[in-house]
Amino acid sequence: MTAIGAVPAVKRRRRGFRLPIPVALACLVMAVVTACAIFGSALALKDPYEQRLDVAVSSPSAEFPAGTDTLGRDILSRVIYGASNALIGPLVIAAGAFAMATVLGLLAGYLGGWVDTIIMRWVDFMFGLPSTLITIVVVGVVGGGYWTAVFVLLVLFVAPDTRIVRSAVLEQRPRTYIDAARTLGISRTRIIFIHILPNILPIVLAYVAIDFAFALVNLAGLSFLGLGVEPGTPDWGRMLSENRNLIASNPPGILLPAAMIILTAVSMNLIGDWVFERFTK
Amino acid sequence: MSLIYSSGNLLRVEDMSLFHDAPTGRRTLTVATSLQLERGGSLAIVGESGSGKSLTAKAIAGLLPPGVRLSGSIRLEGEELTGLAERDWQRIRGRRISMLLQDPFTMMNPVMRCGAHIEEMLRDQPEFRSRSARRAEVARRLAEVGINDASVADRLPFQLSGGMCQRVALAAALARDPEILIADEPSTALDVTTQAEIMRLLNRAQAERGMALILITHDLRLAFSACERVCVFYAGQMIEVGAAPALAAAPFHPYTTGLLLSEPPASRRVSTLVAIPGRVPPADAVENECPFSDRCRWVVDAKCRTTRPPLVERTPARFTACVRQPEIQGELDALRTAALEAANEPEPVTPENGALVHVAGLCKSFGGKRPMHALKGVSLSVGRGECLGLVGESGSGKTTLGRCLVGLETPTSGQIVIEGIPSADFEALARNERARVRQTIQMIFQDPYATLNPKHSVGRALEESLRMSQRTGRTQDHVRTLLSEVGLTEAYAGRYPSELSGGERQRVAIARSLAVDPAVLVCDEPVSALDVSVQAQVLNLFKSLMASRELSLLFITHDLAVVRQIADRICVIYLGEIVEEGPCQQVLNDPQHPYTRRLISAIPAPAH
Amino acid sequence: MPCQGRWSGSTGISGRPPVPSAVLRLVLVRLAQAVPLLVAITFAVFALVYLAPGDPVRALLGARASTPETVAAIRDRYNLDDPFVVQYLKWLWQVLHGDLGRSIVGNRKVLNVILERMGLSLVLAGISSLIVLLVGIGLGALAALRRGGWIDRGSVTLGVVGISSPAFVTGIFLLYVFGVVLDWFPVYGAGDGVLDRLWHLTLPALALAFSVMAIVVKITRAAMIEALSKDYVTFARARGLSSRRILFNYVLRNALIPVTTAAGLVVVGLVAGSIYVEATFALPGLGTLTVDAVSKRDIPLIQGTALVFSVFVVVANLVIDVLYTLIDPRIRYGGSKS
Repeated sequence: MTAIGAVPAVKRRRRGFRLPIPVALACLVMAVVTACAIFGSALALKDPYEQRLDVAVSSPSAEFPAGTDTLGRDILSRVIYGASNALIGPLVIAAGAFAMATVLGLLAGYLGGWVDTIIMRWVDFMFGLPSTLITIVVVGVVGGGYWTAVFVLLVLFVAPDTRIVRSAVLEQRPRTYIDAARTLGISRTRIIFIHILPNILPIVLAYVAIDFAFALVNLAGLSFLGLGVEPGTPDWGRMLSENRNLIASNPPGILLPAAMIILTAVSMNLIGDWVFERFTK
Repeated sequence: MSLIYSSGNLLRVEDMSLFHDAPTGRRTLTVATSLQLERGGSLAIVGESGSGKSLTAKAIAGLLPPGVRLSGSIRLEGEELTGLAERDWQRIRGRRISMLLQDPFTMMNPVMRCGAHIEEMLRDQPEFRSRSARRAEVARRLAEVGINDASVADRLPFQLSGGMCQRVALAAALARDPEILIADEPSTALDVTTQAEIMRLLNRAQAERGMALILITHDLRLAFSACERVCVFYAGQMIEVGAAPALAAAPFHPYTTGLLLSEPPASRRVSTLVAIPGRVPPADAVENECPFSDRCRWVVDAKCRTTRPPLVERTPARFTACVRQPEIQGELDALRTAALEAANEPEPVTPENGALVHVAGLCKSFGGKRPMHALKGVSLSVGRGECLGLVGESGSGKTTLGRCLVGLETPTSGQIVIEGIPSADFEALARNERARVRQTIQMIFQDPYATLNPKHSVGRALEESLRMSQRTGRTQDHVRTLLSEVGLTEAYAGRYPSELSGGERQRVAIARSLAVDPAVLVCDEPVSALDVSVQAQVLNLFKSLMASRELSLLFITHDLAVVRQIADRICVIYLGEIVEEGPCQQVLNDPQHPYTRRLISAIPAPAH
Repeated sequence: MPCQGRWSGSTGISGRPPVPSAVLRLVLVRLAQAVPLLVAITFAVFALVYLAPGDPVRALLGARASTPETVAAIRDRYNLDDPFVVQYLKWLWQVLHGDLGRSIVGNRKVLNVILERMGLSLVLAGISSLIVLLVGIGLGALAALRRGGWIDRGSVTLGVVGISSPAFVTGIFLLYVFGVVLDWFPVYGAGDGVLDRLWHLTLPALALAFSVMAIVVKITRAAMIEALSKDYVTFARARGLSSRRILFNYVLRNALIPVTTAAGLVVVGLVAGSIYVEATFALPGLGTLTVDAVSKRDIPLIQGTALVFSVFVVVANLVIDVLYTLIDPRIRYGGSKS
C-alpha cells in the first residue's frame, strides 16, 4: 500500500472575496437605503407630512434640495422616509416566501412521490394565474393597504420560489453522497437539512435577493396605482402618481423616487446575481 | 526539435504549446508538442486525464475552446493551419481533417434526425443536388458503418442506443471523405462489447479509405491494438514516442513502464498491482523539470530537475524524454520481465463459512405502465471473507442489485438475507435490525466526485459516519486510524472534497464506510472513473483491506481485467439475469455462456 | 477519463416509432389541465362579491340609492337568495352567454365597456410583443455570439436594469426625456387616427416592452451560450459545416426551446405591465379600466376585467405549451422533456 499523503495536496484554491465594483456599489446603495429606513427621522431634515402651500411646487433649493410637491412637502424628506416602506415589505415577502418555499421545495424534491405531485400541482396552478391582476383586485376589493399587499404578494411568491428550490434539490438528489448517507442510516431530517440544505443555500440566498427586488417593484406598483398605502404616505410608488403633474414643473419630485426604485431593485438584482455566480458555480 | 519518421508527411505539428489566458495569468496546458503523420498512417495519443491529449487533438482540428492560445506550427501538406480564419477552416474540416468525439449523445444535435447529420454534409456536392440522391447516399453511408436499417435515418438521436449513435456520428464524420480522422476517446462512453465494434469500424474505415487516423485514448492496450505509432503524454508533455509493438515490448520511459504495469492484466491474476504513487501534476507546475520526477523512483535531482528534458531519439524512430533512459533501461526491462513472469497468484480458496449475504429470486421493475425489468430473478450469495465479482454491462441490472442489497431500492419480489436478517423490504425492518444491517453492509459508489458532500470536510464526514457505529473511545483517534487505514495522513481530516483528487476522494469514501465496521462492502464500479495509475492503488487498497479486516466484497464491474485481479468467484449478469457463475479463473479462462465469451473477446489484444 | 458503460445496448434501437397522435394527446392533456384553472378563476371572480367588506348587496349597489326596488333587482340579478353554488353556476351560465352584468358607475353593459377599451390595449400589447421578440431575441443572440464584447456587456447591463425597472418607472423616465425635455412625443392620451395613435403609443409601448425584453434577452443569451458550448456544435464545426448552418440549425434551433418556455413570462409580464403603463400615460385601455373599477369598487366591472385578463393568460399559456411541443421533436416522438 502506497501512502499518498506524502505528496503535498494541491493548495485549496483560494477564491478571493473581492467584490466586483458594481456589486460593491450595490452593497453601498443598500447600506444607504437601510440607514434611511432605520434612522429616517434623524436623517430627514423636514417633517415629510408638513404641508406648506406657500412653497408648493418649488424647484430644488438650499432649503428643499429636491424641491417640494403640490402641497409644499419636502421631496427629499419624503424619499428618505419612503425607504422603510421600500425595505420592510420586500424583506418580509422575500424572506417569508423563501422560508416556506425552502421547506416545500426540500420536501417535494427529496421525498418525491405523492408529496411532490401535490406540491407541484399546486405550483403549476399558481403559475397559471395572472398574479399582478390578483394582487390589484384583492388589495383593491378587500382593502387593508400595505400589509394586505405584503401578505398577498408573499403568498403569490411561494409557488415560483418552491419551483426554484425543488429543482436545486433535484440537482443534488442523484449525487451519491446522499445515497451514502442513506446507506449509513442517517436520518431523513438530517439528510435534508444537514446534507442537502447547505448545498442549495447559495441558490436560495441569491433568489431571496432577486425576489426582494421583484417584491419592491410590485409593492411600489400597487402604491403607484393608489392601492398599497394611504394617500399622503411617504412611499416611493405613491409619490410617482401623486407627483405625476410635477414632471414639467419640478422633475426631481418624480424622478428621485423613480430613480430610488430602480437603484434599489438593480442593487438587489446585482447582489443576487453575484451570489448565484460566485457560490453556485 | 525535429522528428522525421518518413518523408512526405501529411500532417506536421512542430513545437506546439498551448496556454490558457485567464484574468489571473497565463497557464501552460501543453508544452512543445511535435508530431508527424503520414498519409494512411495511424497515431495514438495516450495519456491520463489532464495530460493535454484532448486539447492537442482539438488544436489540430482548430477547435480550441475560447481562451486557449497556441504557439508553434501545424502544417497540413505544407499549409500552415495556425491562425487560419474560421472560414478557411471550414474548407479544411470535414474534407481534410474530421473529428469524432467521445459521447455519442451529446455529439448529435438532439432535435435533428440522424440521417440529416449525414445529409447536410453532402448538400454542397453537385452529384447530390437532388433529394433522392442524397437519401440514397445517406443509406449507403449508414450501411458502411454497419447500419442496414434505413429507418435509422429518420430517427432522433435519443431514440437510438449509444453504439448506434456513435456509428451514425462516425458516418457523419466520414461523409466528406476526410484525409485525417481524429477520434477523441471514441469508444470510452460505450459498453465493452460495443467498444470493440466501434474500434473495428474505425480501423476498417481507415484501411479501406487510406485515411490517416489520430486516436486519443487513455487506454494503452487499445492504442497498441489500433495504431501503428503511439505517443505518450504526461502532464502536458510528450514523454515517449515509438512504434506500437516496440513500445509495448520495452517502454523507454519510467512513466510508460509504470502505466503498463499498473494496468491490470486481463489474462492473469497478480498478487499486487504495481501502482505509481502520487498523482499527475498540473502542466504549469512542472515546466522546468521532468514532469514525472516527483513520482519516479529513478529520479536524480541534478539530471531530472534542472531543465525540462527534451524528447530525444534513442534508437531509430524511438523517442523518450527520460534523460536517464540509457542507464535505467536494464532496470525498466527487468521490472517488466519480473511482472510478466511473476507467478500467477494461486487460485484463492473460497472460505466455506456460510453466506453473509444471500439473495434468492430477486426481481426489480421500474416504471408503471411500461415497466422496465432491471432484475429478473437473481440469486447469489457472498461468503464471509469472499470477494464476489458481479460482471455486466450497463443496463444489465448490476447496479440495481447492489442498491437493493443496501436498501436504496426495494425489490419487487424475491429475498435478501443479510446475516440472518431478511431485509428485502428494508423500510419494514425494526429499527434495531435496520441498524444491524447498516453495520453489516455498506456501499462504495462509482463517481468519486459525487460521493462526498462538497460542504462537509473529510473529518466531518468520517465523524458523522462514526456516530452511526458502535465504536467507543475518542472520535479523533478513530478518524486518524481510518484515514491511515486507507493510506491518507491525518492532515486530510481538515480538507474539503474539492481539494482532493479522484483517488483520494474514493479513499475517503472507503474510510467513511469502514467507520461502521461493516462485514460486506458493495463496490459499484469503484475504480472505473479513476485513471489507470490510481486505479491500481485503489485496487491494492481493497485487497489489503480484505486481508486485514476479513472483509467481504461484492465487486460490481464491467471490466474483466479488474475483476480477475480481485474476485474469488464471479457472476456474469446480462439483462437482469445471471448467465454464468463460478470460480473467477475458471469462468474467465473457460467461459461457457456465449455472452461471457463475447465479453472476453471484446478485450483489446494484449500488449505483449 | 475512463467512465465506461454509460450507455446501454450494443445494437438495436431503443425508443418508439413516431407517434403522430402524441401531439394531439398532449394538447388534450393541456386543455384538461386548463379547465380546473378556469373553473377556479371564474369561481374566485364570482366570489369577489362576497370578498368585499360588508353586505354583497351593498357592494353591488355601490353609491346608488338603496331602495327596496333596487335591492330586489340586485338580489334577482345575482340570485342572492339561492345557495352559493347555485348562484355561481347561474352567474357562470350568464357569463358564458356574454352577460357580464351592468357597471355600477354609468350603469352600462360591462361587456360593451370592455370591448370599447380592449382595442387600445391589444394594439399596445401587439407593438410591445413585437419589440420584445425581435429586439429581445436578437440582442440576446448577438450578445452570446460576441461574448465578452461591448454588445454583450451592454445587454447584460440592460438585462439587470430592465428586470429592475417596472413599466411605470420606465414610463416616467421616457416621458421626462422624450416628452418633457425633448418634446418629441405627447405626454397624455391615445390620439385619434392611425398615425396619431401610433405616435401616442410609441413611448407606452417602449416602456411596456423594456422590462419584459430584459427577461427575453437574459434567457436567450443564457440559452445561446449553453448551446454554443455543447458537443454537437463542436462536432458540427469539426465536420466543416458553414457558420450559418451551425448558427441556425444547431445553436438557434436548440436555444429557442428554453426561450419558448419563457414566453409564458412574457405574456404575464405584458398583461401586468399594460396596467401600469396605461396608468402612467393615462391611456383609456383595459388596464386603466380595471384600476378605475377597483378604486371605485365597481364589482361587476372588476369581475369583467379580471375575467378577461385571466382567460387571456390561461389561453396564452395553453398556446405556448402547444407551441413548445411542436418545437421540440423529442416530445413529439414520445421522449421526455429534458
